[in-house]
Amino acid sequence: MLEARLQTGALLKKVLEAIKELISDANFDCSDNGIALQAMDNSHVALVALLLRHDGFEPYRCDRSLALGVNLTSLSKVLRCAGNEDIITLKADDTADVLSLTFENTDNDRISEYELKLMDIDSEHLGIPDTSYDAVVQMSSAEFLRICRDLQVLSDSVQIDVTKEGVKFAAKGELGSGAVTLKQSGNVDKEEEATLIELQQNVSLNFSLKYLVNFTKATPLSSRVSLSMSSEVPLLVEYKMEAGYIRYYLAPKIGEDN
Amino acid sequence: MGIHGLSKVIGDNAHEAIKEDDIKNYFGRKVAIDASMSIYQFMIAVRQQDGQLLQNEHGETTSHLMGMFYRTLRMVDNGIKPVYVFDGKPPTLKSGELAKRTQKRKEANASREEAEELGDTEAIDKFNRRTVKVTPEHNAECKKLLKLLGIPYVEAPCEAEAQCAALAKAGKVYAAGSEDMDTLTFGSPILLRHLTFSEAKKMPISEISLRKTLDGLGFTKEEFIDLCILLGCDYCDSIKNIGPTRALALIREHKNIETILKNLDTKRYPIPEHWPYKDARELFLNPDVIDPETIEIKWESPDVEGLVDFLVRDKGFSEERVRKGCERLEKNLKTATQGRLDSFFTVTSSPNKRKADEAAGGKGKKATPAKGKSTGGGRGRPRK
Repeated sequence: MLEARLQTGALLKKVLEAIKELISDANFDCSDNGIALQAMDNSHVALVALLLRHDGFEPYRCDRSLALGVNLTSLSKVLRCAGNEDIITLKADDTADVLSLTFENTDNDRISEYELKLMDIDSEHLGIPDTSYDAVVQMSSAEFLRICRDLQVLSDSVQIDVTKEGVKFAAKGELGSGAVTLKQSGNVDKEEEATLIELQQNVSLNFSLKYLVNFTKATPLSSRVSLSMSSEVPLLVEYKMEAGYIRYYLAPKIGEDN
Repeated sequence: MGIHGLSKVIGDNAHEAIKEDDIKNYFGRKVAIDASMSIYQFMIAVRQQDGQLLQNEHGETTSHLMGMFYRTLRMVDNGIKPVYVFDGKPPTLKSGELAKRTQKRKEANASREEAEELGDTEAIDKFNRRTVKVTPEHNAECKKLLKLLGIPYVEAPCEAEAQCAALAKAGKVYAAGSEDMDTLTFGSPILLRHLTFSEAKKMPISEISLRKTLDGLGFTKEEFIDLCILLGCDYCDSIKNIGPTRALALIREHKNIETILKNLDTKRYPIPEHWPYKDARELFLNPDVIDPETIEIKWESPDVEGLVDFLVRDKGFSEERVRKGCERLEKNLKTATQGRLDSFFTVTSSPNKRKADEAAGGKGKKATPAKGKSTGGGRGRPRK
């Protein structure tokens, strides 16, 4: 059985906000290591990999691995009933048909209990090879959000170029073109806003802005985001949390070859 | 047409083989489309409000061109790359089926005349649609249109479904697009249905996987073909009194038609006098097709002026719409296609354990929900 108590319930709410647009149903794979989720969107263009490590919960107990199939829209609706300050406890029996959620508010001694019906979900688990990326950009997650939103005005895809000097996001569309360049900065005063680049090789890749904007729904989870890229492999966008991470993979757009 | 009741058999016995998806999720996919069937479909479906075929001012039918033009555009708009396949000479085995169809058309004609006398407009319309016949001229016009659009097409030596299946099998295209279920019997790994339906129908694409069908039924390819013959195909009669359930049970028990015949009570199930099931099987296994490796499929820019000439001047289409359509074609040809993760990452494990347990243990309580009714396009099924 699973029992996981989360001191800051707001975290779970944010996690759901970050994935529910992309995926409608998914299995939460619970093990003694923590709660993980891996799922692709319907068109198999993007993948979300989420990990909430066991040490993020207090206490955390999971004797036997189990997969909890959940409709994410429904779960997010239930979580909307929880306050940001609430302590959230997740519980499920090994053979359960439901996931029980308890929201405790310590201030006014309010306890609410919900049960969410589980589903059987055929999900294909993908093996993601360990890749050493040609370019890894670490930057402010708020900045990344802004760039994606700004460029979406112009086009539905963005070209990302990474060189030693910096990273350039460029979009071209019917009404014109635009580009945002962030220089590699060693700004020690504002660590949160610095742009750091680890580069093996220059890269230039094309991605769908619609998906990137979708990924930025995870911005409230972390002030930093890292973009890992190599030619002709999926982009990895990672938001690190205190005890875990949320990773998005996005297949690049490929030029015409027929 | 196609295989009698096969989609229901698959739906009931191997429902995991059928997946419904929006057309927009097929971007970047190359699909071989059974043109002859599509044209027939257009002639039936693309009509005026009063049920009459679309015509230009000279009284020539344009339903097929209208359908071809707009439905092709719809696919291209969604990033699909269609290649059309036209029927060649029908196989001799099909002559029986074709004669039946001609007969039916005759009957429909007679019924229509009757309805006309009675003034029953609904019935007139109904029988009108049944009398539709695709002429070689219609086919030739569609080919001309495709050439101008820059959309490739293939002329099959024989059955178009078989050629579509061969293209898909060879990996030249992702799937075969047809409404005829025998495309699966011809060995297409994936069959897409409803691809050429109108946007207004809001019909999702139904994707049927041959491998999952075989896994779900527990059949080999040969057993599956024999099952299709028993269900009733275009190439020979089926045995009287054998329906889907019995056909399935017989193949499960005896594995092939030869053994079934040895064990069958021919009084209850009279075998047709002349029953060329072996020839039909051979036709499914080794159909007459062009070697897919020798076919070059290329999408080109549309010939705008040529299209305007043909569609607007000859066929009375709206010039503005034709030009707009060309722009869309051109644009979609140029833009980079979105890649898919499947081509980078490999599937390590599929369905979760709970399902496997269930399949092995309590068969009776398996909760199979009504197909295609899951909310919000989700793929999950309620556990209870």
